[in-house]
Amino acid sequence: MSVLADGGVAAAAAASLLEVITAPEGEAIAYATRLELTRFAGNVIHQSVAETSLRLRARVLGDNRVGVAEGGGRGDDAVRRVAHAAEQARHWSAPADVTPLPEPDGGSDSPVAYSAATDAASPEVRAELVARLTRHAAAHGLLAYGAMSTQTSTTAVHNTKGVRREATSTQASMVTVVRGDKGSGYAARHSPDVDAVDIDALAHEAVDTCMRNQDAQPIDPGTYEVVASPYAVSDLLGHLSWVGFSALAVQEHRSFMRLGEKLMSDSVTIVDDCKDAALFPHPFDAEGVSSAVVPLIERGVCAGVVYDTPTARRDGVRSTGHSLPQPNTWGPLALHMRMDAGDRTVEDLIGSVKRGLYVTRFWYVRDVHPLHTIITGMTRDGAFLIENGKLGRPVRDLRFTQSIVDALSDVRGISRDRILELEEGESGVLCPWVHLGHFSFTS
Amino acid sequence: MRDLAERALDAASAAGADFADCRVVARTVENIVVKNGAVSTVATSDDEGIGVRVLAAGCWGYAATDELDAQHIEEAARRAVHIARASARVNNKPVRLAPHPARTGEYRTPVQRDPFTVSLGDKLQLLMSTDEAMGRVGGVTVRECSLEFVREERFFASTEGSRLAQTIIESGGGMDVTATAENEFQMRSFPNSFGRHQLCAGWEAIEGFDLPGNAERIAEEAAALLTADLCPEGVMTVILDGTQAALQVHESCGHPTELDRVLGHEAAYAGTSFLVPELLGSFRYGSDSVTMTADATRPTGLGTFGWDDEGTPAQRTLLVDRGLFTGYLTSRETAAVIGQESNGTMRGDGWSRLPIIRMTNINLEPGESSLEEMIAGTEHGVYLETNRSWSIDDVRLNFQFGTQNGWEIVDGKRTRLVRNAVYSGRTPEFWGSCDAVAGPDEWRMYGVVNCGKGQPSQLMHVGHGAAPCRFRNVRVEPAR
Repeated sequence: MSVLADGGVAAAAAASLLEVITAPEGEAIAYATRLELTRFAGNVIHQSVAETSLRLRARVLGDNRVGVAEGGGRGDDAVRRVAHAAEQARHWSAPADVTPLPEPDGGSDSPVAYSAATDAASPEVRAELVARLTRHAAAHGLLAYGAMSTQTSTTAVHNTKGVRREATSTQASMVTVVRGDKGSGYAARHSPDVDAVDIDALAHEAVDTCMRNQDAQPIDPGTYEVVASPYAVSDLLGHLSWVGFSALAVQEHRSFMRLGEKLMSDSVTIVDDCKDAALFPHPFDAEGVSSAVVPLIERGVCAGVVYDTPTARRDGVRSTGHSLPQPNTWGPLALHMRMDAGDRTVEDLIGSVKRGLYVTRFWYVRDVHPLHTIITGMTRDGAFLIENGKLGRPVRDLRFTQSIVDALSDVRGISRDRILELEEGESGVLCPWVHLGHFSFTS
Repeated sequence: MRDLAERALDAASAAGADFADCRVVARTVENIVVKNGAVSTVATSDDEGIGVRVLAAGCWGYAATDELDAQHIEEAARRAVHIARASARVNNKPVRLAPHPARTGEYRTPVQRDPFTVSLGDKLQLLMSTDEAMGRVGGVTVRECSLEFVREERFFASTEGSRLAQTIIESGGGMDVTATAENEFQMRSFPNSFGRHQLCAGWEAIEGFDLPGNAERIAEEAAALLTADLCPEGVMTVILDGTQAALQVHESCGHPTELDRVLGHEAAYAGTSFLVPELLGSFRYGSDSVTMTADATRPTGLGTFGWDDEGTPAQRTLLVDRGLFTGYLTSRETAAVIGQESNGTMRGDGWSRLPIIRMTNINLEPGESSLEEMIAGTEHGVYLETNRSWSIDDVRLNFQFGTQNGWEIVDGKRTRLVRNAVYSGRTPEFWGSCDAVAGPDEWRMYGVVNCGKGQPSQLMHVGHGAAPCRFRNVRVEPAR
């Protein structure tokens, strides 16, 4: 039942839309999506859904005015409706300094994360994967909760300058919280290929964490050394991206990034790499510009930010291909981040902590002061005391309030193993375990 | 819409569904943004599709499509049944639904002036004059103002015989002003945080906000915050403005009273709740000053409608009665678990997403005090306005909120402006320390347009009626 990958549905829709745009410049984007997701709670499937959609977006430019319209549906009527609405919007818009559409840059429409197995995954396949997890949980007297999803998405971007881009990608994800009477454990796995989602490893990890995280006892708030798992590190990187890795944030003086300055430890290197096979690679952005590999932090030094066409024009540089649909007020975003691995095992990291905490994941992380990268949030699904290099008893969840940059300026070790996690905005982040020299827990 | 729905129900029944309902939803959104004196966005978005929910083999299945021809609608219905049967492989607990009479009817948001009949020119003029007023203030780095209008046509039908047509109209707008200095960043928003206040209402709501009339004041406050003193630190009295009280209600009462969370349906994602069923009717949630309701009948709230997405009529439910925990937000499935009938809070995000329990309008009912009286009765404390950050744990107990603006109160008087205020606490202790809520004259309906829940993720528009309220012995500090 593959309706997307081989149909050219999105490219055909984008081409049809561009054909009926009458403005001097025009851009047509089509998104074709099939999303299927099976949720489970208490070792039973309680919700399972499937949706298919085709979305069109037209941007028209002329006389220093821009208009945008989006629409769902298929066929000539839908295409004409969207084009007309965009033209109406342009007509009413006020003249402004409008950034022209990008020219074709000759980039390739690969690599892209795609798996035929994911594209073809049925409700029975997802149910069986869920069953493998729930059987493992039940065998230990525990209850599994979570979701198994498979998704196929095609994006096509065409414009009147000759840009013609199309890419079909897939994503398979299993996320679980396993619960006992007095505590819980978390694990997640994501891959373009449903057959590569290691359910058994996930099940063992979540069950193991849950069994160790029973009957957690309170611990005094304060500043602790922390070994943060990749799930927790992904939140730190996600928020750095949101508040600071965008050229617009720098231009508007709300980013912590001071290019060329060393703000973090030598061991910290963060790169946005849309070509990395481990990171759901995607070759172009929402303007059809080829995405470049952008070093963001190199050995602790602020190395670069990501650009879209408007911010690049303002700074007199080339777009790095990190645009969201234009126009927008948020600016470009780094959506394929990885943190470089270190040379330590997780046991090494824990072994080097005299007294500290191991954090499985953070929860409900929010920006308290974006310029200072201060965030707050809670630990969840497994925080453990480390004493004299040994992982010990579980501790009750704590609230933290901490500057991310400050925490990453005191990195004492990084693991060689990494896990791909989705940050809150659901972009993939490849993260190691990180030993932070200090982290402030407030309640 | 009716024909599409009938075809879906027929196909689901023919495929073996024991029960089916469906929603045909057509949504139009108009969005206009002016940033730094230029029109940044003029956009419209149309969206139409059908979602079919079935019970087969004791399990739920849901399939949605935007291909609204007979073939694809029937395929979606059959797909939903297929999904339900696949789910039955990992489910030994057949779904039971609370009883539910069939209903028919129509509902339309009452509006004085349909916002879609107002010209784009008039809307742009309003935003440009708002921007111009913000621009008169020095020291401002970014100014942004916006309008958003939503029209949603919904048709609900079920194999039990319900046939319900609704038209929901929303109007929203607001402004954000950012001021930056060498090592400081401050933002002020109006009428609500993060750029937008929204109501189920027409253009009259936008006129009521008076964006141009408030723009210069808001910009001046943003600039003044750059050099304001840090918020004082300590345990003190806190007075929240209505917008922050609304968000406090949202996070610490709205979410924990969702019965699907309580039953574990969201345990792996949004979390669970400290308000377990054993506490219903006996737990002291707050002080005698605290009464909270879920009220989908209150005019202008974003959770105001005729029927929820299971066809249950809009209604008012007491969640907290003078401090006592008395009720949950329920659906037909979850209500059956605790021996009740649904109180009508199932809502789906558009046609594509499965309805789940969502807040309607979760209101802090008005008290008898006033902001002026609360300030006069405070020896030392802070008056906090407009949310800047929010975080709460997965059972909804441990929270920390920050606000954009703070005013120190000394000896019953509002004194200096303070910045970077953060307050924290635990839900029952916090609401237990509430000793005053302002009366009906200061009670307003606020809107939250970014309430996330469910997998796949759903964003819901929910309402909160609230008024300024006062809390004693709260931990306050500056963010640092």
